[in-house]
Amino acid sequence: MTNGTRVSFQMSFIFVVLLALPVLSALPVQGQEIGIFPEEQLSTFFVGRLAFGENHGGDCGDVGQDLVRLVARASTIHVREEKKMSLSDDGLFETPFLFMNGHNDFVLSDEELENLRKYFIRGGFVFASGCCTNPEFPEAWRREMSRIFAGEQVQSIPYDHLLYRSFYKIESIHSLDSNREIYLEGLFLDGDLVAVLGEEGLCCSFAMDGSCNIGRGVPPEDAKKIALNIAVYSLTH
Amino acid sequence: MPPETFHFDLITALYWGLPAVAVLAALSAWTLAGRGVAPQRRAILVTLRGLALLTIVFLLARPVAVQKTDPDDRTNVVVLLDQSKSMSLVESGTTRYEKALALVENQVIPELKARGLANDVYLFAEQAAPAAFNTRREAAVMGRRTDLGGAIVHALKSAPKPPLAMIAVTDGVANISTHNRDALLGLVDRGIPFVGVGVGDDEGVMSLSLERLTAPSEVPPEETFKLTSHLQAIGAGEIPAFDLILLRRPLNGGPSTEEEVSSIVQVRRVAPSQGSRIWTESFEVVEDEEGLYEYTVEVQSAVTDQLVTVATRASTPVTVTSSEEFRVLFAQGALTWNFKFIGRALRNDPTITLTGFSRTSERSVFRQNVESSGELLDGFPDDLNELSPYRVVILSDLSPVDLSPAQQEAVARFVGELGGGLLIIGGTGTFDPSWRTSRLEELLPVTFDNDTDVNLERSFHLELTEEALRHPVFQLDNGQKNLNVWQSLPTFQQYGRVLDKKPGAVVWAQHSHDEGPNGRRILMASQYYGAGLSAIISVQSLWRWRLAKELDPTHFDRFFQQLLRFLGQSGSREVSVQFADQEQGPGLEVTALIERRPRPDGTGMDEAKTYNVRVEDPQHGELLIREITLRPLRPAEIRFRTEEEGVYAVKVTNEDGVQMAARPLEIREIDREMERTSRDLENLRQWAGLSRGLAIPLEECGDVKELLNDALTRAAALQRSRTARRPLGMNGWVLAWLLACLGGEWALRKVWGLT
Repeated sequence: MTNGTRVSFQMSFIFVVLLALPVLSALPVQGQEIGIFPEEQLSTFFVGRLAFGENHGGDCGDVGQDLVRLVARASTIHVREEKKMSLSDDGLFETPFLFMNGHNDFVLSDEELENLRKYFIRGGFVFASGCCTNPEFPEAWRREMSRIFAGEQVQSIPYDHLLYRSFYKIESIHSLDSNREIYLEGLFLDGDLVAVLGEEGLCCSFAMDGSCNIGRGVPPEDAKKIALNIAVYSLTH
Repeated sequence: MPPETFHFDLITALYWGLPAVAVLAALSAWTLAGRGVAPQRRAILVTLRGLALLTIVFLLARPVAVQKTDPDDRTNVVVLLDQSKSMSLVESGTTRYEKALALVENQVIPELKARGLANDVYLFAEQAAPAAFNTRREAAVMGRRTDLGGAIVHALKSAPKPPLAMIAVTDGVANISTHNRDALLGLVDRGIPFVGVGVGDDEGVMSLSLERLTAPSEVPPEETFKLTSHLQAIGAGEIPAFDLILLRRPLNGGPSTEEEVSSIVQVRRVAPSQGSRIWTESFEVVEDEEGLYEYTVEVQSAVTDQLVTVATRASTPVTVTSSEEFRVLFAQGALTWNFKFIGRALRNDPTITLTGFSRTSERSVFRQNVESSGELLDGFPDDLNELSPYRVVILSDLSPVDLSPAQQEAVARFVGELGGGLLIIGGTGTFDPSWRTSRLEELLPVTFDNDTDVNLERSFHLELTEEALRHPVFQLDNGQKNLNVWQSLPTFQQYGRVLDKKPGAVVWAQHSHDEGPNGRRILMASQYYGAGLSAIISVQSLWRWRLAKELDPTHFDRFFQQLLRFLGQSGSREVSVQFADQEQGPGLEVTALIERRPRPDGTGMDEAKTYNVRVEDPQHGELLIREITLRPLRPAEIRFRTEEEGVYAVKVTNEDGVQMAARPLEIREIDREMERTSRDLENLRQWAGLSRGLAIPLEECGDVKELLNDALTRAAALQRSRTARRPLGMNGWVLAWLLACLGGEWALRKVWGLT
């Protein structure tokens, strides 16, 4: 190789390197993970819609989504769309608020119960609602939740509990189709309320544009207030 | 369009350059002839070299094209109003600033409006900023330097088009000159006359200022503590003897009128002194009853023509308590999961009470665990007394704009004066440049990056620093197990982007891989702020740690219990650092007293403990390191020399390397702003002379109409004679010409075999 060709070769090499630098700098760095749901970490309130037992988390359509919209409309709480998950998903332990509803009886597996136990101990919260005043779901829920912690049974929540005034002040809930008061029910762990059940078609009343369970169970206006109170309570206790 | 004329700014370059080119050309011709190059080829090569050299000489002479310009349509006048500290001097019962403000508000602005001219008013000291009417009225006259040139440059850059004239109402005392050249060029090039109105007396006087009063934020009853007043005297004359009066006022539920309840506790006579100095004078005080007290020191000096007192009063609150109650106020801009999970963490510690304050909608707030129906009813406290029951305040996911200036000030005083703890939690959504210039920003141990518009969605780990691993706050388990706990934390996705730590801050945790301009991004840090401590967590969703399936939630709980206790106990630390009464300044020796407090039960009074003392200079370098042994109430003395201005820090660590106490000490030169207190009309005359304006003392302004007539006449004359200068230096064509000459010469030599 002559001196002239060596110089030309070196100049060409430098030129090519200079051209290549901006292109190389635009490529992603290898070996760094990409976040799966990064935007969720910015949101304050997001709902994990539970699939459990035989239930695939689809009863009463977009009721979980309606709950999210309700919270967004009535407060300054930052919200995020619902995410469907099962009780065996690891995503459960990144979702502090779960919603479950259904019409029918169900039985939780030992693994699901163990996951719920861990979830509650760590501060997770479950909001449950029976659909269309069907009694099978609430009965199953009471039975299964009472299996999670030894000595802890699902119990009725009296109207003087903070749950009824965490956002709206609710004196009482009167059933639309019978002359009686409706009480929320809950599971407590060391005095902390970790799971709440609203029967009498609570989710039908605060969601689905009032097209379900018309004239029965919880009045729609009360249902919306209860749902929001439960969301605020879960964020503050 | 008037014709252009050509000039050289540096004609000397031509005088020296042209003969040099001729000599070089001749030398070149002679050399080529010696190598036997044919005359024709020789002439071509010498010509090409000569042309290149001539081009360079031409450029060195800085050629410019000058053209007279048509007067443009200017309809505004800039008014610069000086708000530097020297303007706070009181003369004939009124401050200089009040006199200047009266001239601007009552005469200059109305007259400009009457003439149909717009006005842009700027306040200036070290920096300049546009000022609306209310801002001007309520401005704090506290600037520690005056940069008149900088103010002119700022006003010129901010205005959409050049002003007719620039009127500066100032005492003329300017002590920053870095922008003077640019300012002068700006005025001259744009044809703007400078009109200086000089405020103040022409005779300089001595000034005496009580800068601040410091005290321990929290003391037990029946124990002696020290209140230290920091004083500054400036000038060449004598400060006569004066009195310092210590006043005391209980703040807990007593009458609210200061005059009714302040009582004189002590009076101290300060001996006469000569010349400029900064020094401290202390009072020793004992309180028998618990409560919150405000102590005030007042300077009482004889009224003379040769002494002005700039600041004569300073106050500080002190909490006298033996209580172990530990209340934490958690405030958040909107409901977040942080409140719930940190609340759960503190549930297991019955001695800590968490009070929550959250905004839940536009018109509603959520208060939790308040001790009375009225507590926090009017919103977040904007009064120090309301914050005093708390040991720690947590501000989560909110920006400075979420708190009013009064609320921010209350938080700053809570930390700086009451020795409270502050924990700020946030992330991408809240930690951004909007913190800059806010009162809260001063409390942060870090600064935030301007560049927030970046993808921060990559998972990361939180990595503790060595400092944190030694710190008691981060001890969640024993030995290696503790390290395992921290290494097994879940990955996080979002974080506030920190630019750098502040001087004196301790970094606790860093990002696993995001490298900023100053090392890996900081995720946790703390610093002493006055008597208290502040800390920051910039991980967006640290609560995920507690909910994580495979982790023990009690570790999360323990961490927050320990962190909040640490932040809240700065007012009652085991070891304290105090500075003795002394003169302070660059080149002087400082004496620090390091004292170990006795245990509350009075035991162990003879027990000796070993500590390490490290003194850091303003660049964080090690100035002194010493091992000391301390017994309760028997202080050890440390001396060190401060060679330069800046913040020095005295840090005390125990044998395990855990920091037990730290105290910053700001050493500064004598206040340059107040070193010369006489009006500097000569400075204004120089600005006016160079820009063809005028300078007059305020007392000769008389009817401001005449002043403005004069100024506008000068402006019109400048407009008519204004020229536009177009540099004819290096551009693409000239560069191409130069390359063509040199390249042609090189190519011909190659072709002709003359390498």
